Amino acid sequence: MAKKKVKETTEKTPKKEEPEYIRIKFNQPRRYDWSTGKYLGHFYAEAKENKKIMGTRCPKCKEVLLPPTPVCGKCKVATGWDWVEMPQTGTVFQYTYLVFPLWDPHYGERWANPYASAIIKLDNGVFYRHFLEEQDKEKLKEGMRVKAVWKEDYNERGQGPGDILYFKEIGKE
Amino acid sequence: MPNRVAIVGIGQTYHTSKRPDVNYAEMTREAVMAALADAQLSIKDIEATFMASMETFEAIYLPDHEMAAEAGFFGKPGLKVGTGGTSGASVVAEGFYFVASGLYDVALIIGSEKQDCGDTTAAITAAATPMWGKGATTGAIGEFAKQALSYMKTSGAKEEHAAMVRLKADRNACRNPYAHLKLGLKSVEEVLKSPYLVWPLRLLDFCPQSCGACALIFASEKRAKKISKKPVWLVDIETVHQEVFKAGVFGDPTGKETYAQHVACERLYKRNGITNPRKSIDMAEIYEPSNWEEMNLYEHFHFCGKGEGWKLIEKGVTEIEGEFPVNPSGGVIATNPIGATPTIRVAEAALQIRGDAGEHQVTKDVKTAMASALGGPNWTVLSLLKRSL
Repeated sequence: MAKKKVKETTEKTPKKEEPEYIRIKFNQPRRYDWSTGKYLGHFYAEAKENKKIMGTRCPKCKEVLLPPTPVCGKCKVATGWDWVEMPQTGTVFQYTYLVFPLWDPHYGERWANPYASAIIKLDNGVFYRHFLEEQDKEKLKEGMRVKAVWKEDYNERGQGPGDILYFKEIGKE
Repeated sequence: MPNRVAIVGIGQTYHTSKRPDVNYAEMTREAVMAALADAQLSIKDIEATFMASMETFEAIYLPDHEMAAEAGFFGKPGLKVGTGGTSGASVVAEGFYFVASGLYDVALIIGSEKQDCGDTTAAITAAATPMWGKGATTGAIGEFAKQALSYMKTSGAKEEHAAMVRLKADRNACRNPYAHLKLGLKSVEEVLKSPYLVWPLRLLDFCPQSCGACALIFASEKRAKKISKKPVWLVDIETVHQEVFKAGVFGDPTGKETYAQHVACERLYKRNGITNPRKSIDMAEIYEPSNWEEMNLYEHFHFCGKGEGWKLIEKGVTEIEGEFPVNPSGGVIATNPIGATPTIRVAEAALQIRGDAGEHQVTKDVKTAMASALGGPNWTVLSLLKRSL
């Protein structure tokens, strides 16, 4: 008897109709054409031509600025054309491990997933952010010694920070 | 001396992940109408309109043009502002400046975001300069994952503490009729079972993408007392910009960065004679994109000493019934329509001062409240609200 009652109630509940909303989709890639400017342009050129990571130096506080800028934000003085070449080896200072897939802001594509992103303390003490080759969370650790691995093909370079594929653990060749 | 500025109207939409029933303009109109109804004003009483939106999230550029009719912009002066996560507080600052200047006596302030239009994380990732961003960005989630790691290391907080912050947010959100996520979370274990998005941040540790809008009506002193029986005074605002993304943005592992929060607090507290914010301020609505960042912000805003943020949550200090309630609305981790999120912080703080927060009204009497906003590479906006001048 009780069972039948329940059934009746269910049948009487009117099914809520979802209205058909009209939506418009847009899936086209858009074309952008950014100027690097003088300082970032120099960074891009040095990466492409010489596989070098270059920063500027503030004449007042002497801090090495990476990304390179024509002005030190804190001191508000022009940095001039004082370039510092960064060492390409460093220590993993902090890392995280992305499970959630992100979009590449350059090309509108999904990045490989999962991957590790790190703050690397380069051997001159400057902090640099890049990806790590190691994808296994268990093998990632702070203090790992790493070095930059560049895109070997000259024609594939020209993407600034992206000319470095990732940082690889030293001694794992 | 600038004119005094009061909040005389407060309105918001309900917040949810998808609003296919309305477009951006129609959704924004709901909040505007609610604020006008609250102030018992007509759009004809509004002299100028100001709006916040992060246009790249909708790919609807110049949204203030699109919604000129719906949101009351038509034929009126005003400006739209977009400053990343802080947009909804920058527009509060904008309205504050204009009314304080004496240029307008009654202004409408709107924060609105309809995130079902696009992919917010992609838009945030793309917000980093394209010439530098690629090697550096991990989206907002990656930044706050690094913050969580730094915080864990320097403060000694455990994942359990972060889970307790999440539980507080959910308990509060369940009491707020406008909140988006109301999950009915019961235990720390339940939060710790949530899957990782970006290690060590879990799905439940991070703010959602919401659709929603919030509108405020500001009035100068001479008009405010005539319009509202319970004007809430916006006594001061501080806004501090930060540099581009460097090594650590929200949790500085290098110990070298200048925190925008420290600069903003120092100025705001000094101008208003606040030496102990826990005593001078009764409660706060803060912009916490993650539970870890909430504990970090307790420290940045000097609600406690360094490394003690997690102790506040452990002792229940920041609960609705606590000595210093933080985010009784459920906060950003429950509701996050980005362009409106900081406007909601100000709105919720004002509701607490008026005593009109309903189910999520805090136990103690709120005479002074602070609202914060956070965005981009740690840009900070702080608002100080009071019941009486």
